[in-house]
Amino acid sequence: MRKKQKVKGIKMEKLKDEIASIFKEIKVNIAQDTKLIISAKKEQVLNLLRFLKDKGYNHLALISCVDWIEEKEFELVYILGSYLEKGGKGHIILKTRIHRKKPKFKTIIPIFENAEPYEREIHELFGVDFEGHPRLTHLFLERDYKIPPFRKDFDTREYVKEVFEKIPFVEDKK
Amino acid sequence: MDRTNIKKWLKTPDKMSQKYSLWAVYFCTGCGIIEIPPVITSRWDAERFGVIPVATPRQANLFLITGYVSLKTLKAIIRTYELMPDPKYTVGFGSCPINGGMYWDSYNTIKHLDKYIPVDGWIAGCMPRPEAIFIAVTHLWTMIDKEMATGYKRYKENYEYYRHNQERLFGKLEWPPLYPINEEKTEGEGN
Repeated sequence: MRKKQKVKGIKMEKLKDEIASIFKEIKVNIAQDTKLIISAKKEQVLNLLRFLKDKGYNHLALISCVDWIEEKEFELVYILGSYLEKGGKGHIILKTRIHRKKPKFKTIIPIFENAEPYEREIHELFGVDFEGHPRLTHLFLERDYKIPPFRKDFDTREYVKEVFEKIPFVEDKK
Repeated sequence: MDRTNIKKWLKTPDKMSQKYSLWAVYFCTGCGIIEIPPVITSRWDAERFGVIPVATPRQANLFLITGYVSLKTLKAIIRTYELMPDPKYTVGFGSCPINGGMYWDSYNTIKHLDKYIPVDGWIAGCMPRPEAIFIAVTHLWTMIDKEMATGYKRYKENYEYYRHNQERLFGKLEWPPLYPINEEKTEGEGN
């Protein structure tokens, strides 16, 4: 059994009330005592991140992307942690939705510098453009894909049939 | 040295010395590389079979491909293979290089390694036990004896086709061809 530890630093309830009072039209939930889940509009994200960084959440752990194909939206998920005492032991999950058709979002490199590879990765695998990013080039992949491969409408089996299966064995060519 | 083999040694010293001293490239791909450190160190001790890993492909003649091959890795594998001096032997380790394995419908993992470089033998399984490597090595000995491990010769003979297959995946490769290519022989159907 895990012992319940006394959480130093900022309390989640307090932070939740504070965010709800400053930012309008925002959904804040507390999950498992130390997790704060915020769903915000895309215009609020940069301000929210700045606010949370000032509050002690100075570590961007991950940016990920979810493809909600039926709702025609991408969901960007920012996960923040803290190395400072005033940030406490919790972490914050910040979600925002952007359009799927021409996915665009602003880069958060001015706030968290280590967002650079994450944004490149999302650009490569989901096709989201981050405005203001210094170099949106390939990070892992060697080939160009018509549809970015992590989107739900990318058919991997068809792609394998078209590209890998069509290459002949050398013994057959002779 | 086995005294009963002394005739063989005197007859074909090149073959015998090749087969009892295989130098493996320490090239890490995929999950199979986890099996290699115990194989080369005291637990299984591959040196009993004459297999020692070396740092650079210039000194090696055995190439173990130990797991799934992504496109980026394939590029490195081709370069490494071309750097190795003749005679060289390739062994695919695990089920992924054979036909894709569990990555059979992946967008970025190649399915058949022998379309791009020649492979002398396969070790099936996911994962194969370290003992399987020794079975493969002893098989390779008999193959060298019977002159069946001719991957490097096949590569030289059919280099146009191999290079063509490689370029279908990568576009134009940034290094020059290893062997001269007769342009008329290949059909112009690039991708």
